[in-house]
Amino acid sequence: MIEMLSYDFMQRAFLAGIIIAILASVSGTFVVLRRYSMITETLAHSALVGVAVGLVAGYNPLWMAVVLALVAAWLIEYLRSYFSLYSDAVLSILLSGSLAVAVVIVSLGGAFNNSLFSYLFGSILSVSTEDIYTIVIFGTVSLALLLLFSKELFFIAYDEEVAQTSGVKVKLLNFLLVSVVAIIIALSIRVVGSLLIGALMVIPTVAALQYRVGFLPTVLTSLSFAIASVILGMSLSFYFSLPSGATIVLCVITIFIASLVITKR
Amino acid sequence: MKFSVPIFDVKNLNFRVGDQEILKDISFQIFNGEYVAIIGPNGGGKTTLVRMLLGLSKPTSAEIRIYGKKLSRFKEWSKIGYVPQRASHVDANFPATVEDIVEMGRVSKRAFFSTLSKEDKAIVHDAMLTMDVVDLKDKMIGTLSGGQRQRVMIARALASKPEILILDEPNTGVDMASQKRFYSLLSKLNKEENITIVFITHDVGVIADDIGRLFTINQKATICNNPKEALSCEEMSELYGIEAHLIHNHKHEH
Repeated sequence: MIEMLSYDFMQRAFLAGIIIAILASVSGTFVVLRRYSMITETLAHSALVGVAVGLVAGYNPLWMAVVLALVAAWLIEYLRSYFSLYSDAVLSILLSGSLAVAVVIVSLGGAFNNSLFSYLFGSILSVSTEDIYTIVIFGTVSLALLLLFSKELFFIAYDEEVAQTSGVKVKLLNFLLVSVVAIIIALSIRVVGSLLIGALMVIPTVAALQYRVGFLPTVLTSLSFAIASVILGMSLSFYFSLPSGATIVLCVITIFIASLVITKR
Repeated sequence: MKFSVPIFDVKNLNFRVGDQEILKDISFQIFNGEYVAIIGPNGGGKTTLVRMLLGLSKPTSAEIRIYGKKLSRFKEWSKIGYVPQRASHVDANFPATVEDIVEMGRVSKRAFFSTLSKEDKAIVHDAMLTMDVVDLKDKMIGTLSGGQRQRVMIARALASKPEILILDEPNTGVDMASQKRFYSLLSKLNKEENITIVFITHDVGVIADDIGRLFTINQKATICNNPKEALSCEEMSELYGIEAHLIHNHKHEH
């Protein structure tokens, strides 16, 4: 452990990973309870369009990922509320659409290389100091917003209509939640990768739900599962030269299966 | 001035879906301190009407005022406690204790802080006490019986200190003994706490003794100011169709 942390890049990776674990699991609680789990996959692919634009046009891919994920999140909310479309169909259309656009941009720009691969599956080697700043700034704002409105978001997750008739600004908060989720997903693709971030958002909460405890204990359990998976996954990734995102996801799935087994007994 | 500005003032409410008229020319007022039952056969439009009063569905045409304000301009939603029909059907896995749920009643009342004040906590406790769910406060909502959940949902509504309580078929799936206790509690809230109660049900036999006015909704609205007479009135059984018969039989059994 000491040896691993003597490397600068590992310190950055751990810092980024733990922040991402906190953000993903806290926002993931609301996402799962609202049955929005699929939105994480779609936004991750939209973030990839941002990465593609960034790589080809020479902008910071992480910033571009944040912008494109936000645009996609707002588009989803707009389509969902103003047209009577099935929300899972909207998510599916945007997911494939985004991936297609990303692939076309990257292929036209000739950027099909390792750099893109690292955004797909995450790479602990690639977290730069600039990335850390971006993650800390956006992450702090996102977490503050989530905590500030946690009671309202929890109420909406429980019953959207009753929340609305109690004076909770449901539309505004739905918009806020998808925006925050979009930002968090975009920030996460450095560490976990766009194909795997959905897992880090959804699985810790689903595992925590198995213990059937109240709201706060559920969030805290989910948080500790996410942090444990990131630390364990990154360590395994370092010692066995495995891709970090995939290793983290396998760790969180192991925790989920263990939770299922423990709580069923 | 108990009966001055009506809480709900509905004029000429119409709702059509395609060629089908769901609700036609409905006008009524509900005043502070009243105990109103809205009854009607399933599919008659009761729930639709209530959702329109709360801005959850849009009528084809209507003029709806709440506390004298147009529905679209009304902001003081915490004055209204709404317990929807499906309230007692919660996801068994939802991570909320009874206390978590009742605390939701304070959410729109507080400022932008994550924690509730001591006063909020006291109000939440009082609401749980009124609905007799204090002993259940640490239990998960998914583990409760239908009757217990129903009381928790109303405690949640009471925690926002509403002036009017709107309950949509809260007695569905609840056993007879719990129902009786529940109805006497509603009467108490109405008489002692002066909470206006609007109660939607297809089963009118049980509450007939307590209610002040009875609205029957089956496309059109008929308002009876004396519910005891209404139960036997011809107009009513005409509106209610075959179900009026069933209700009378049902009543004899208990």
